[in-house]
Amino acid sequence: MLNIKKEQQGEAAIVSLEGHLDTNTARELEEELKDVLLQTTSLTLDFEKLEYVSSAGLRVLLSAHKIMSGKGEMKLVHVSEAVMEIFDITGFSDVLNIE
Amino acid sequence: MSNETITIRLNGRIDSGNAAAVEQDILSQLEGVQASAIVLDAANLEYISSAGLRVILRVKKSISDLKIINVCSEVYEILDMTGFTEMMTVEKAYRVVSIEGCEEIGRGANGTIYRIDQDNVVKVYNNADALEDIQHEREVAKLALILGIPTAISYDVVKVGESYGSVFELLNASSFSKILATEPDKMDWCVEEYVKMLKKIHSTVVPEGKLPDMKETVLDWATFMQDHLPEAAGKKLMAMVEAVPHDDHMIHGDYHTKNVELQNDEVLLIDMDTLSVGHPIFELASIYNAFVGYSELDHSIIQHFQGFSFETGMTFWHKSLAAYLGTDNERKIREVEDKARIIGYTRMIRRSIRRKGLETEEGRAEIAYWTKELLELLDTVDTLLFNINELELDAVADNLQEVQDFIDEHLTAADCPLKAKMQIGVAVEEIFVNITHYAYSPKIGKATIRVEVSEDPVSVSITFLDRGVPYDPLAKADPDVTLSAEERQIGGLGIFMTKKLMDDVVYEYKDGQNILILKKNL
Repeated sequence: MLNIKKEQQGEAAIVSLEGHLDTNTARELEEELKDVLLQTTSLTLDFEKLEYVSSAGLRVLLSAHKIMSGKGEMKLVHVSEAVMEIFDITGFSDVLNIE
Repeated sequence: MSNETITIRLNGRIDSGNAAAVEQDILSQLEGVQASAIVLDAANLEYISSAGLRVILRVKKSISDLKIINVCSEVYEILDMTGFTEMMTVEKAYRVVSIEGCEEIGRGANGTIYRIDQDNVVKVYNNADALEDIQHEREVAKLALILGIPTAISYDVVKVGESYGSVFELLNASSFSKILATEPDKMDWCVEEYVKMLKKIHSTVVPEGKLPDMKETVLDWATFMQDHLPEAAGKKLMAMVEAVPHDDHMIHGDYHTKNVELQNDEVLLIDMDTLSVGHPIFELASIYNAFVGYSELDHSIIQHFQGFSFETGMTFWHKSLAAYLGTDNERKIREVEDKARIIGYTRMIRRSIRRKGLETEEGRAEIAYWTKELLELLDTVDTLLFNINELELDAVADNLQEVQDFIDEHLTAADCPLKAKMQIGVAVEEIFVNITHYAYSPKIGKATIRVEVSEDPVSVSITFLDRGVPYDPLAKADPDVTLSAEERQIGGLGIFMTKKLMDDVVYEYKDGQNILILKKNL
């Protein structure tokens, strides 16, 4: 289960995720991010209520990061310790902008 | 006339004053009769002194097969103190109890239980010659009590009409059936207590030889069925029962809610004569029959017997089985239910045939229905054994959530910390999704997931089994996790994460199966 909340403020967007980002929900996030990625130059992903990320979730984050880095920036905020460990292991903490 | 048993009545008081006259009277009754056995009926005997006892000894000398019956408790005490109860058969007089107008509070395989007053209940046995049954039940109830199972033990044997009964003290008690019938909102509480007691029974080891082995009984049923099933199905049924290993844990044998009482907040069992040892599937079969099986065709049966509706019985069974197995996974519950139904139908078909069911239209209809169900089950089920730590399902991505939920139940039961839960979740997802992609593609096949929690150190191990093409996911080189975003390839990251998050990941291919084991210390 993944709840996705989007807030658009001009060129900037905040997307808040709640629940699990896994094989089944990664597709939903990919869909939801499509228009955001087109319209935005600054994307903030709020992970405060995200409990879980699997490799399928990492794949979506990586492709979003690649798109955003061409035209602006993407950053992650409020990343929990457990999710941070996933990023550390996979080297994603060096690739993504995490605040 | 050498085999005659002669009965002589003893009346009033026998003491030194009248002993000689009584002896004379007895001898005159024996005169001219070639009696081989003598019964002294003491129903009207109020007192006997040592002079009277000597008379009995002299009579016994001439006819050694002598027994005294209907002995009141005062006289019994004298006979007991003087050692007469060791020398000859002495049967106590049975108090007469009437059950007219008494509430029926329980019913078991061998008898019915009535409340006779505020503090006492009587179990009236179906079998008219029940003294042996009563003795047996007293012995097994005592055994159960010693082994830690709370149960009522009878303190008196009484006569109820032509039958025998045993009397128990049962204060302020109410059967679970009554609670379910009158307080439906207590359903979940009843399920919880009922299952707690069932698990207690099933975790009780019984010393060898103390109780009958249920497997022997079920083997008899399966043998009986050989004449009533197609040959292949009959053989399969027999083989499945034979394959159930010996189990020295207790099973109740008639564990339904009329036999479970709540007495002053304590849960108590009242019907113990079917106690045996064996595999829990045999118990689950009899529970299935009690709540569903017997009433499947005629829903009024359970209403009449338990006092609640068929729907209530179904719900209670389903919730109890889920709680017993410790899972909400419907697939798992159904799997075990199907195994229970195989034994359940076998038992009911045999019972109906033995009660001349084939001679009535009604009987033929129920036998035909149960046989159809049984044959369908025998077609799809290959073993009566089950493992509550194991789930078998199609290896398809849509089943990932079910796998995660199943593992999560076990982790929660083991007090697994949240962080470890998430790490295990990530690893399980990677491995299961891998199997869905590679094992059987493009076809669909089965995967089995087994969760085992062990103590010292507290750790969990999750095993994935599939019969797909041999594939070792660990053989791949680890990805370079130091590359920049642009150079990054996402492939292989899942397995890499799994290795990093778990304490151990092992793969082997054995007996045509891919076996992958995740281990995590908690």
